[in-house]
Amino acid sequence: MSVLDQATQRPARLLARVPGVAAVLAALILAFGLASPNFISFGNIANILSQSTILLLVALPATLIILTEGLDLSVGAVVTFAGIVLASVALATGSMLAGLFAGLAVGLAFGLLNGALIASLGIPPFIATLGTLGVAQGLSLVVTDGQSIVGIPRSIELLYSTTVFNIPLPVIISALAYALVHVLLYHTRFGTYIFALGGNREALRVAGVSERRYLIAVYALGGLMAGFAALLMTARMNAAHPTAAIGMEFDAIAAVAVGGTSFERGNGWLFGTLLGVLAVGVLRNGLNLLAVPSSVQVACIGGLVIAAMLIDALRSRS
Amino acid sequence: MTEADTAPRRRFTLPPDLAQTGYRLIAAALICVALSALSDVFFTVNNLMNILRQTALLFLLASGLTLVILTAGLDLSVGANVALSACLAATVIKATGHAPLGFAAGLACGALIGVVNGILVALLRIPSFIATYGMLWILSGITYYYMAGETIHGFPPGFRQLGIGYLFGVPMPVYVMVLFLLLGTWFAQRTIWGQQIYALGANPVAAHLSGVPIKRRLVLVYTVSGAMAGLASLVILARINSAQGDIGEELTLPAIAAVLIGGTSLFGGFGTVAGTLIGALILTLVLNGMNLLQINASWQPLVTGVIVVLAVWIDTRTRKWSE
Amino acid sequence: MDAQDPEPPATPPLFELQGISKQFPGVKALDDVSFEIRAGETHMLLGENGAGKSTLMKILCGAYRSDAGAFLHNGEPVAIASPNDARRFGIAVIFQDFTLVPYLDIAQNIFLGREFPGRIPGTIDRRRLYREARRVLDAIGFDIDPHRPVHTLGVAQQQMVEIAKALSQDARILVMDEPTAALSDRETELLFAMIARLKAQGVAIIYISHRLAEVFALGDRITILRDGRKIASLLPSQTDADGLVKLMVGRTVDHTYARDFLPPGAPVLEVRGLAADNGIADIDLDVRAGEIVGLCGLVGSGRTEVARAIFGADRVTAGEIRLFGEPLRGLPDESARRGLAMIPENRKQQGLALGRSVRDNIVLAGLPKLFPSGLFSPGRARQVAQAMVERLRVATPSLNRAVGVLSGGNQQKVVVGKWLAASSRFFIVDEPTRGIDVGAKAEIFALLDRLVHEGAGILMISSEQTEIVHVCDRAYVMRDGRIAGELARPDLTEANIVRLGMQQ
Repeated sequence: MSVLDQATQRPARLLARVPGVAAVLAALILAFGLASPNFISFGNIANILSQSTILLLVALPATLIILTEGLDLSVGAVVTFAGIVLASVALATGSMLAGLFAGLAVGLAFGLLNGALIASLGIPPFIATLGTLGVAQGLSLVVTDGQSIVGIPRSIELLYSTTVFNIPLPVIISALAYALVHVLLYHTRFGTYIFALGGNREALRVAGVSERRYLIAVYALGGLMAGFAALLMTARMNAAHPTAAIGMEFDAIAAVAVGGTSFERGNGWLFGTLLGVLAVGVLRNGLNLLAVPSSVQVACIGGLVIAAMLIDALRSRS
Repeated sequence: MTEADTAPRRRFTLPPDLAQTGYRLIAAALICVALSALSDVFFTVNNLMNILRQTALLFLLASGLTLVILTAGLDLSVGANVALSACLAATVIKATGHAPLGFAAGLACGALIGVVNGILVALLRIPSFIATYGMLWILSGITYYYMAGETIHGFPPGFRQLGIGYLFGVPMPVYVMVLFLLLGTWFAQRTIWGQQIYALGANPVAAHLSGVPIKRRLVLVYTVSGAMAGLASLVILARINSAQGDIGEELTLPAIAAVLIGGTSLFGGFGTVAGTLIGALILTLVLNGMNLLQINASWQPLVTGVIVVLAVWIDTRTRKWSE
Repeated sequence: MDAQDPEPPATPPLFELQGISKQFPGVKALDDVSFEIRAGETHMLLGENGAGKSTLMKILCGAYRSDAGAFLHNGEPVAIASPNDARRFGIAVIFQDFTLVPYLDIAQNIFLGREFPGRIPGTIDRRRLYREARRVLDAIGFDIDPHRPVHTLGVAQQQMVEIAKALSQDARILVMDEPTAALSDRETELLFAMIARLKAQGVAIIYISHRLAEVFALGDRITILRDGRKIASLLPSQTDADGLVKLMVGRTVDHTYARDFLPPGAPVLEVRGLAADNGIADIDLDVRAGEIVGLCGLVGSGRTEVARAIFGADRVTAGEIRLFGEPLRGLPDESARRGLAMIPENRKQQGLALGRSVRDNIVLAGLPKLFPSGLFSPGRARQVAQAMVERLRVATPSLNRAVGVLSGGNQQKVVVGKWLAASSRFFIVDEPTRGIDVGAKAEIFALLDRLVHEGAGILMISSEQTEIVHVCDRAYVMRDGRIAGELARPDLTEANIVRLGMQQ
């Protein structure tokens, strides 16, 4: 609850779901379709979908974390660092697989670290992940000395160039990831407890369920998926840059917020996150096609998030 | 009769602010001692001036932030605020050749950003970390777009005194720092608004039911935080004599760290401006020491992050005990 | 007092508490209380606030440990040391704040923590979940789709879900604390039908209520507690409403409440047609200088809501408020400035900043008045605080100690002091003596008496009928968010308050 809600002792109004995210998405597609002739084309759409994969891999666990009334600000830095480790190990051993495992291990380690800080030490999520952000960022800079890592085994390019029935591999990966998290959230005890962690922790305590275990697990999942995202990112750029994924957590949070998941009370919608990711992807793609500088793009996404929160605030007032 | 009212009273002691400040001063002194032992360069005039200048800058930014954190809020947009305010001020100075005008523009810009933050948090009830995080990106975007990769150079010498000037052998920024230390402490401890802000942070419900105008005070603290960011941007401008899009970005995390190290609680209601100054000093000493010992600068965000987490953890333990 | 126990039947009761005592610092909450629970029986537990009902139930469900006494299950001695123990004996309590997760559906809430495993490890067998949920819901006669998310349910329905949750854990003893407090008549009927069904299945129900009609409609046995002791345990056929009231409140007149009544003066507060977004409506009341006016009624009848609306803490939707003849707009800082004081129900959470010093708390509300220039002077603040501490005889080691270390009575004095320092002339006092021992109570009332002698007006909310009767000039009784009636001396009696406040 915000200080203001606390002060006036009015219960924080439930943020209404925004099926409006679908409307927003449609509006964006319409607007860009009219503004730029290249927008609606099979190639471009496939492009948007591929680019969105990385964000989706990060936004899916972010949804779960936000459902527990938490936040993970370290994702971008962790993806960056995992990518660096992945590339370095791949170069050193000549094996992509070894690199992949190393990257996943790094992601998982940071996830567990976040979970431990938050669940075991009771540090507020945004501070804890702000701290791990600093750690990951620092490690990235130190290990690479500011230089990018290139010369990764070419096999990694296959990730983006392979298609199955004309569908790019990344899209299939997206679909699989979405399906997996969907099952996790809606068909397992883990998922049920995620909602409870955000909605009413007392209920879990009374039921004798270990809050700590599931809280750590959800951040660990975030770290693991960050590792996968790192793989895709490195594949796309065919290199690992020490500043590659800076700010990715913001896009992820934006996608989740726009998709209608609240930051309080465990009210969320996984499909909304998918739409939100597409909205962000469409926005960036469209702005690119219109040759809008990336600085303004970033501002637009910031505006999108605040607009989403504003709409929610106005809705819950009426 | 509730259980809580008739249960045994728990020991509840408020550590005197003075003792807290004292411990921190001792910590700072110890770091100085350690550093002068580890490095010959530490105790040189040049280095000490550097430390003072850097501490002053950090403190200016962190002082406004202290008020925000006192209300259990956060302002993550300060770094981006500095960037935009600096670039705006630089533009105005170049365009009009009139330093005071640019000065005013920078301050006004910072304050205005603060007002927007305040409205988002107090009137629209958006959680402060989301609102200011969103603003951070919006401001960054605007700044980068506007600057388009260019740099603005060369400001009038009179203006530059703010950053590089000396008075009786002490760098100007230090005077500004002392000024705002006094102003900030005066505001927090010697005005009714300061008292109300402390109460608001300590118990928003009780403050509300005691007639404290919560919304107005929240807007006030964010405005002050923004204005201080504006001021800090001017000092930076004066010192490095140029403005570009990413100026000041790296200051957000250290500013927050300074406030937390200084003893202000994230949960609101406790902390002092003087504490923030010492926090800024401690952090600057640590980072300066790292430089002197030639530790890779890339480690700095990491160390800052670790210190923040540590400070908050200690704060959490102390709060738990006293609640 | 003699216990009027009816003839005990041959078989031992399903569960029995014998000679339970519980001491808290400063107060004996329970003194040698015995309580029988029989299968298929609805046992009504009555008593005023503070009589010990909830303490007894908390001991039963393992949340508290008793200092003395024994537990018997089917005649065999057992121990209840934790909530898990209580659960093993089939004891379940329906909490007032529901432990439901808003965005999960009914079935998920019922089986939270006890989900049915699906074929793939880690997954939930959803079909079975909804089937079982359906079964439990049918057993209590609750016809609702188990797929509905809990946040879409009304309070009554959420309560049913809580009951279903308890029953799905094979509760044999169900404790319900004021279950109809938030229910409409129709919903109450449904609840009663469900209770009847449970009884037929042999479930024992302990039902805490203030509503006499319910007691006679549902109760198979009635136990009355007063001041931590069991006063009587009888069958409904052995008594009537008047008899119950007498047993509940019978008390020797206590000179704690000596008051020197004054003829009323000029109007201080005039409220007409007040309605607010917290559920109150059609509120008309007056308070004049020199008067202490009581506002009573059951918990949840809207008393605190009226107070909050007048002060401006909640939004007023209709009606007019006049303070000293001038209209009041309902903004807290303006109310405070105009001399209106709000002494809230929960002084720790709402009235004081526990971590701040006595001095800072005392001057908080009066800051704009004490320091009109805006400059805060610690010296003057200390003077004001010192004067207040002396005037109210607040026992504190120093002005700089955090207010959280003071005792309940002294904390309450600080809250009052806060408003006196703000030169308030009209006080809304919500449960002034909650959690305060007898000695401090007398002081508080003497203080209130002094205030009205100095020309102030006081609106006092209290659940203690005795207090209202002895301290107030007049009282309004509330029921369901509206004023049920006004009682002036000599009609201001505990029985009348109880009667007006309860649904008949």
